[in-house]
Amino acid sequence: MRRSFLIAAAIVLALPIGAQVSALPRTSDGKPNLQGIWQVLNTAAWDIQDHQARLDEPAGQGVVDGNELPYRPEALLQKRHNFENRATADPVSKGYLPGVPRIMYMPFPFQIFQSPDFVGMAFEYGGAYRTIYTNGTRHPTGPINFWMGDSRGHWEGDTLVVDVMHFTDQTWFDRAGNFHSDGLHLVERFTLAGPDHINYEVTIEDPAVFTRPWKMTMPLYRRKERNVQILEYDPGLLLDQQQAERERRKPN
Amino acid sequence: MKYRHTFLSIVLAVILAAPSAAGQQPTAAETVGGCPAEPLAFHTCALEKTKTFNPPRTPSGKPNLQGYYRARLAQAFSVEGVSGSEPLVKSSVMPWTLAPPMIVDPADRKIPYQPWAASIGRIGENYTKYLDPRTACGSGGVPRVALQDPNHLLQPPTDDYILWLFEDHHVHRVIAMNGNPPPGNSIKMYNGNARGHWDGNTLVIDVTNLNGYNWLDDSGNFYTNTAHLVERLTMIDPDTIHYEVTIEDPKTYTRPWKVVWALMRQKQPGFELMEEACREGERDSLRIRQSGYEYYFGESWRGR
Repeated sequence: MRRSFLIAAAIVLALPIGAQVSALPRTSDGKPNLQGIWQVLNTAAWDIQDHQARLDEPAGQGVVDGNELPYRPEALLQKRHNFENRATADPVSKGYLPGVPRIMYMPFPFQIFQSPDFVGMAFEYGGAYRTIYTNGTRHPTGPINFWMGDSRGHWEGDTLVVDVMHFTDQTWFDRAGNFHSDGLHLVERFTLAGPDHINYEVTIEDPAVFTRPWKMTMPLYRRKERNVQILEYDPGLLLDQQQAERERRKPN
Repeated sequence: MKYRHTFLSIVLAVILAAPSAAGQQPTAAETVGGCPAEPLAFHTCALEKTKTFNPPRTPSGKPNLQGYYRARLAQAFSVEGVSGSEPLVKSSVMPWTLAPPMIVDPADRKIPYQPWAASIGRIGENYTKYLDPRTACGSGGVPRVALQDPNHLLQPPTDDYILWLFEDHHVHRVIAMNGNPPPGNSIKMYNGNARGHWDGNTLVIDVTNLNGYNWLDDSGNFYTNTAHLVERLTMIDPDTIHYEVTIEDPKTYTRPWKVVWALMRQKQPGFELMEEACREGERDSLRIRQSGYEYYFGESWRGR
């Protein structure tokens, strides 16, 4: 009795030191296993900053460290213009790819696949995918303008660090019109915080638009529903169907 | 009609700037994976090879299909092939190329359409009335999405999923190898729901929950949202996959039928998929629709 109590006590005492590391699910090559279906639970897709409710846009606390964005003065005017016109000017409202990082916090699930040479991400929204090469290759030589950028990753301890560049200037950070140039450069950090949480951190650098780098932080939550899987949300198809219905109803 | 192909050719020329295997004509000496370069002859020969070829393995002992591939012995014009009597062969804008049928079963190598469906496919009502859903930036669907641009099979060592990525319109397919049941029947998707398992050295993918919005080829050949597909991927040498799809849809066909082509490993050093944004840069589909072509959203929209 007494001995088992001691063993139990020893295990409990050991937890704060050992368990943090050993309890994480790991792949056969010892890396944290990020595989599974994940989704944010925040309102960043509408506005990455603190915001009150607007019609069809939930209120939310921002995901930007310090909340303020270091826009250059002329860029801030552009942001305000974007905001006023967001219903039609938001690239997502036309069914276009949301770009990175916005795809990471769209209110739709995505699935992570992991091998020593790559981390693949398949998104329900727009059928988008990302291939994050972790095979030591570098960004190809530009100029290249990818809507989803070019992603090269490596592991720093238990954190997957992803460098993303070669963007277009056509995507926004959110519905609120926060934007960037094609010189956007991201460093993302994916850290498994437990079996069902990833801490997602992204540093944004874009000297043409911002006076200094800034950072967003948010958890990704594992979807735990029985038999949960990625389905299809094809915004282009849905917009085309809406258009076809409109044309059908129009009297000749 | 001619108008439409002007646009199509521009779209194709821009989007598919890379030379494609589609439409290439086999020469007498040409072989694919050591088999004759004609779909039916390739099929017969490849099935023999699958009996003896021992594919490379993953650490857990599964056949290792991982890598970049591009279709061979396939073309986008018609799964029934293109004969010299087809007027589009003489198109001054984008002439179709002569090609043998990709159908290996039934023996006449024609789609076994129900009578109502034959006049809709085969350069019929679909072709003359509707905008090709792929031109409208929809997914090419299964199996057309695997036909033209390169694709990437990713096989994580956990064996529970296979991820198949396509350059064509940035389509992804998640193939569940974990035995989970498919979602409910009312959930329909462009690429359907894919459940995979290993049959010996063959990856078998069962596809259900299809929305039937896609076509099989440029000719408007089609299935509906009751279709059930079974894909079989088998390596016949280290760089060649025998790709077979059985298409079953009793509403549309009198019997199941099969198409076959080869997926060839892309071996150029540093080969990777590019991003093919479609809707984001698309300029033609509005003009094509203004010339009278309608959106295609499957059988339930026909005649609306």
